[in-house]
Amino acid sequence: MPDSLFVAADYLSQGANLGYLVLGVAVGIVFGSIPGLGGATAIALLLPLTFGMEPDQAVILMGGIMGAVSIGGSVSAILLNTPGTAPNAATCIDGYPLTRQGKAGLAIGAAATASSIGGIISLGILVAVLPVARTIVLWFGPPAFFMLAVLGLTSLTVASGNLLRGLIAACIGLFFGFVGYDDIGGTARYTIGIDFLWDGISIVPLLIGLFAIAEMMNLYRTGGPISASDDGDTVKVVGTMDGVRSVFANLRTLISGSAIGTVIGLVPGVGGTVASFLSYSFAAQTSKNNENFGSGDIRGVIAPEAANNAKDGGALIPTLAFGIPGSAEMAIFLGVLILHGIDPGPMLLIERESTIFMLILALLVATLISGGVILTSARHLARIAHIDSMLLIPCVITVSFVGAYALHGSIGDVFIAAFFGMLGFVMIRFDYPRITLVIAFVLSGLMERNFIQSMIMFEGDWRRFFGDTTTLVLFLLTLCALLIPIVNRVRTRRSTR
Amino acid sequence: MSSKKRRCRHCPSRASNQVMSCRSIGVRCCFLFAALSSLLTGCDPAGDQQLDNATIAIVIPYRPGGGFDRTVRAFAPYFARQLGAGVTVLPENVPGAGGRRGAAKVYRARPDGTTLGIFNLPGFVLPEVLGEKVDYDLRELSWIGRLESQDYVLLISAASELQNLDDVRAADEISFLSTGYGSSVLAATQIIAERLALTDKSPIYLAGYAGTADYLVGLIRGDGNVAVGPVSTSLKYIESGDLRPLAVTGDGSSLPGVPTFTELGFADLAALDLQRSIAGPPGLDAELLTTLREAFLRAVADPEFIATARNARLDLSPLAGAATAAEIEESFTFYETFKTNLKNPNAL
Repeated sequence: MPDSLFVAADYLSQGANLGYLVLGVAVGIVFGSIPGLGGATAIALLLPLTFGMEPDQAVILMGGIMGAVSIGGSVSAILLNTPGTAPNAATCIDGYPLTRQGKAGLAIGAAATASSIGGIISLGILVAVLPVARTIVLWFGPPAFFMLAVLGLTSLTVASGNLLRGLIAACIGLFFGFVGYDDIGGTARYTIGIDFLWDGISIVPLLIGLFAIAEMMNLYRTGGPISASDDGDTVKVVGTMDGVRSVFANLRTLISGSAIGTVIGLVPGVGGTVASFLSYSFAAQTSKNNENFGSGDIRGVIAPEAANNAKDGGALIPTLAFGIPGSAEMAIFLGVLILHGIDPGPMLLIERESTIFMLILALLVATLISGGVILTSARHLARIAHIDSMLLIPCVITVSFVGAYALHGSIGDVFIAAFFGMLGFVMIRFDYPRITLVIAFVLSGLMERNFIQSMIMFEGDWRRFFGDTTTLVLFLLTLCALLIPIVNRVRTRRSTR
Repeated sequence: MSSKKRRCRHCPSRASNQVMSCRSIGVRCCFLFAALSSLLTGCDPAGDQQLDNATIAIVIPYRPGGGFDRTVRAFAPYFARQLGAGVTVLPENVPGAGGRRGAAKVYRARPDGTTLGIFNLPGFVLPEVLGEKVDYDLRELSWIGRLESQDYVLLISAASELQNLDDVRAADEISFLSTGYGSSVLAATQIIAERLALTDKSPIYLAGYAGTADYLVGLIRGDGNVAVGPVSTSLKYIESGDLRPLAVTGDGSSLPGVPTFTELGFADLAALDLQRSIAGPPGLDAELLTTLREAFLRAVADPEFIATARNARLDLSPLAGAATAAEIEESFTFYETFKTNLKNPNAL
């Protein structure tokens, strides 16, 4: 193993290869920060460029993109309440309130640092669990996947503050998640005769509508810039370094976020959105003095950002060892690997150890470079929050619709974005948690498919869910997620007495 | 697919021990034809005036990242090269409605050669056979040629108590793992189950896995006890010792040491395979169609493309346009035979 690591490090440090990495990082930051584009589009666009490259160079370029995308995506989540990529959605919950308080620099500093360190911790964990990774992947059959989705949904609904509104938002999310062709039952649901809806609603236009467009509509209503602070440059610069320091002051949040990200990343097909939301809700429920979560607690930025970079490390295992992509960008990355003659599968971990380390190192260096770039440019980026809404709104709306269209080149996605923009605006006005809708939407497919598969496996006997150890552990964690807020409330009441 | 002992679907009378199958003859004819047409048209690849400086889109009816996407992206530059210097060939992902949106786009396109598409057989044949409403008719398309073809393999977990096909047939409980309803894999699984008389045991069809790798990992994990997979995707799990192959479709075994269904007495399963072919809209001008077909044949014979395809693990099995069209007709006949077995096993 050390030999492969040194071979990979030596290869990566060579001039042209390092150049590919930097190119990947630059593309990753730009595509990550523009809502709708994201890592999958970046990888697909750069794919033809890799034809003339050596396979390991292509891996480095793609590693650069994947390492940088989520850090880029956090910037628009914090400044505009618009996640650049789906896993950044959880960062909006506390990142945007911080921006409104004039603390955008603090949030960006914390996000970039947490992402970078989260990535490093995850890769450390990854190297350690590599020998047993296969076993972990095999723990998750349909019953465990179902229970994992239940755990994710429960934690988020409980963390949403108002339980009833959280439940209503979750139901709306589940409903929209069920739109499309059900390939187990063999029926098209809620497609109202439109072919476009057969494949369901895509997450990206939904996010663009629910966050970017809805936020701009709301900004139009309130007027003025996003940031309530009139203070100029000094707050932002100082804030960035404070953000870096805040990560080290909250090491527990950072480590738990990274660990959750890595483990969720390991589970094939779950993806970074669930990882960052679970990490957020874990931090919100288990931290002391958690009353500020949701209204601008820096730990609410650190936890999801640590998780969403950490998940990349974990997600490499199912992608490389089993050829099961955990996300859209991993699916396209898989295509890149195969086009270059690297066939993901059980033998890859043994046959091409150095390529895996190359990818791990590329991700690591990309995370650090992109973190550095964001930190040094935070001062300028934070100015966005001070732009007058009359200038900002048309720009963001245009980019949002172009982003929605660019995803699949389909006008249908633009309509979806517009619809969810209006729904998001209504939810803001009546104080319904949009994040809960998103997580329910993301989990709906996973939850339904695995529930039906489990019931087919168990021949209708639901009690057999508890015969599977992984499922039982996840069920107990779900109970804990329900009980922790109650216990905390009882404790608080006692202490106030 | 390049086995020398194959029974051919075009000429079933051909004995299994004959040296070359019709398909391999077809492939060789493709190369010969390509070489001849290169000679006739000179060294410069033939460009057609109708396609001068044209941009041709090859519609991929799925999202980027899958096998179709990979195939078209690998093939497009070589196809463009053979169509002439000014011609550009671009892959275009048109996902939606399980591939039907992309297929309909090709079907409805102007027959000027600038919109082509890649089609999966039997994936796109099945909805038509099952009488579902689709906005295309495969038999009317202008077929340019087949790129890929691969056989299926019947698999069990290496940890399974079952050892061979007889054990599977004698097992009390059969639980098949597969992708969802409408997929080629589920259809292949149902056909194999019917021919092995496993339907009498009311097998469970644990369908709905997101992809082939997902259900093969499910088989390793023990979600079910039998699965049918395309040979190329299954190979890595067989080589790693996680899965055990019991029998393959096709006339000659594409997995050394593994018997074919024909050898085990189920000859009608030989024709079960998975193909990827290129077609244009109905009514392509005859001259234009010939140009595209010739360029296709030269592209698939290009040693550089063959090397790229090998690298990208494509199951290259080229077939000329007219033979591909005949193959489509045969697919309809073949799947019509099993129509009653192809209903959704998990329908509510």
